[in-house]
Amino acid sequence: MAVNLQRRTLEDSPLEEPGLQSPALLRLRSALPQGFQRHIRSARELDRDLREAQETEATFRTAVPALDRLLEGGLPRGQLVELVGSRTSGRFSTVLAALAAATSVGEVAALVDLGDGLDPAAAEALGADLRRLLWLRPHNLKQALAAAEMVLASGFPLVALDLGTPPVRGGRGVEAAWLRLARAARAHNAALLVSTPYRVSGTAAGVVLKAERARAAWQGESLPLLSGASSHLQLEKQRGRLPGQTEELKLTLGEVPVPSSVPRVKKREEPVEWVEDWEPLRAAGGIRY
Amino acid sequence: MPGPRIACIHLPLFPLAARLRSEPELIREAVVVTEGNGNAARVVAGTRLAREAGVKPGHTLPQARALCPKLVARPRDEECERAGQEALMEVAEAFSPRVEDAGEGVTYVDLEGLERHFRSPSPELEMGRSLIAAADKAGLPVRVGIASSKLAARVAAGLPDSPVVVPEGEEAAFLAPLPLAKLSPEVDIASTLEQWGVRSIGDFARLPKARVASRLGRTGRELHATARGIDPRPLIPREPPPVFHEGMNLEWPLVSLEPFLFVGRAALERLCERLESAGLACQRLGLELRLEPDGHQTRAVDLPAPTRDVKTLLTLLRLDLEEKPPGAPVAGFTLLAWPDRPREAQLALYGPAALSPDKLATTLARLFALLGPDRVGSPRPVDGHRPERFSLVEYTPPPPPEVRREPRAGRGLLAVRVLRPPLGLEVISESEKPVEIRTVVHDESEKRPRVEGRVKVASGPWGLEEGWWTEEPAGRDYWDVELAGGGIYRIYRDCATGEWFADGIYD
Repeated sequence: MAVNLQRRTLEDSPLEEPGLQSPALLRLRSALPQGFQRHIRSARELDRDLREAQETEATFRTAVPALDRLLEGGLPRGQLVELVGSRTSGRFSTVLAALAAATSVGEVAALVDLGDGLDPAAAEALGADLRRLLWLRPHNLKQALAAAEMVLASGFPLVALDLGTPPVRGGRGVEAAWLRLARAARAHNAALLVSTPYRVSGTAAGVVLKAERARAAWQGESLPLLSGASSHLQLEKQRGRLPGQTEELKLTLGEVPVPSSVPRVKKREEPVEWVEDWEPLRAAGGIRY
Repeated sequence: MPGPRIACIHLPLFPLAARLRSEPELIREAVVVTEGNGNAARVVAGTRLAREAGVKPGHTLPQARALCPKLVARPRDEECERAGQEALMEVAEAFSPRVEDAGEGVTYVDLEGLERHFRSPSPELEMGRSLIAAADKAGLPVRVGIASSKLAARVAAGLPDSPVVVPEGEEAAFLAPLPLAKLSPEVDIASTLEQWGVRSIGDFARLPKARVASRLGRTGRELHATARGIDPRPLIPREPPPVFHEGMNLEWPLVSLEPFLFVGRAALERLCERLESAGLACQRLGLELRLEPDGHQTRAVDLPAPTRDVKTLLTLLRLDLEEKPPGAPVAGFTLLAWPDRPREAQLALYGPAALSPDKLATTLARLFALLGPDRVGSPRPVDGHRPERFSLVEYTPPPPPEVRREPRAGRGLLAVRVLRPPLGLEVISESEKPVEIRTVVHDESEKRPRVEGRVKVASGPWGLEEGWWTEEPAGRDYWDVELAGGGIYRIYRDCATGEWFADGIYD
């Protein structure tokens, strides 16, 4: 596992008690100026720093504040996290946000997209680095599970498996397959996010989250504009924690013009007359060419 | 100025050694390789057990079987011999770029400049031992001779206690005590020399040059020169082949897949070992099948990235053969590997963990086999506004940054789950505004999402016009609708046909 030691500066990390330090190390440190003493580390101190760094990296931040708060830092590595939600629950947005967060900082990630619902332009607008995203479009759940296991085994630190909307091609799958998948995530210390319309993974899931059906937010009365949606994420299961904790998931269409790839241009009711000068129309934002 | 130094690598009993390389389980058996058909087949070479039983080259197969009842006979196999010769060349090329292919299990290597890599009192002896060890690792029990001429090196390689090094300038002295047969003279010259009482190479070398030429002609003159240690033939280096071959002719035709894959796996393993020893991987795997009673078939599998993972390559072969069966019994096969440099990456100490390029290539190949090439890759948007369109490119992630960063807080953007292909809808509208929608179901067994309900809020229409100059123009009026029962959908009316579709769910 790659460990980020740089995030912790040497100044933050305490030295061992003088009684535990070897005499040679003590002599070496005492010979150095005050500011440089911490740059000499014993093997035991380095080992402790590495372990502490690993503990802080046990989660995978998703940049979805509600999810990160609910999971106390992000997606736990080495576990299967099942996100259950109906249509329009913010489930797919959460998956894409997690992938965008990972790829934007240089991690590679894989999306096993059984629903075949990814719009690359929308993912890019969400901040995803598409060069680092592996997109797999299986035909059925059996293929999706096999593909997810393969990418986990090849070392992808984040794998998202989206089962789409019901009816899911392949039903719920075999529980043994989900257990294999969870074991693959644990063996490779990867974060595995399964987005599904109903519970599928049974006892294999280390964390289960439920997303409520989202309510749409509209702007304007006579000409309503969709401005976003809000939902609630609820923790249903996590080892060592009581279920029931809830966080609000707010999603907006924002200023990004293309979550839907469709230009937000009001259709002209009247036929456009031929004009010699197109600049005024172009300046008004109505013409894109 | 010192002359060239040449090593000859000789694989004794070449047809047998090449066959045993393909079937290593026969090494401890009494095996002979034969040439010819049926009872007229004659023994070409045999293993130690067969030789100890009295089997000799030239025996017919019934004679050999009478001497050794448990004899295993195999016909000469061109494919095995070609692969064995290529493997021998690759062993030599691991030491020097100047290698000559002399065929029939013989290879010459130019040793110029190699001595500095072997820091021992006798670097050439050390080189010879290294060549033998490398060949042995490739399943080829070779002998090595080192001398200043190809002929002396070849004769030295035929002697036991290999490697044999002939010091520079001592070729004639080295050859002198050896029997004349070591020079492989032509039959009539050999009989003439025998009548003259010439037994050793030294006896022949001592004869006057002009008289030998006048009595034995041009061939005799050249043979006399070689007996005196003079071999003017230069080493002719070969061009490295663009494709690696491995294969064999089968003892009996195979009609089912599993036995073929069993044999093919062993050949693939040998192929991948050769690729690995050359620092290469397979970018394209070809398969040539020789069919019974006649005919042949050629097929090839392109790989997403160079790999030498046997399991993956075998899976791809299996899928290809299952998809397009040969249609006739398979009597022989050749695997062809188009080589390429494997991907390499420098791993960062403090940045995010990078994927092992070799492992990634293998995984991509397996995913290709599982899902199909059009369903694996890195997504890219296509210029235009139609959301269902996309393109897939080869997945080659850039190297990770040197230092890990924390992700920025997300903007909490609502994404659309695209419905591919769009769902056909029946829409009841008032004043061109949808008030109720329902999915059109053509086939009850079709597993597609269904959308149905009264529209609570509808926002639109938003015009999309694209590609009017093409044969497939798109003119759509988009609406965002929230249904009374829940769910926010993106629907549109096709301006050309007036039909309604849902092409996305806000999720």
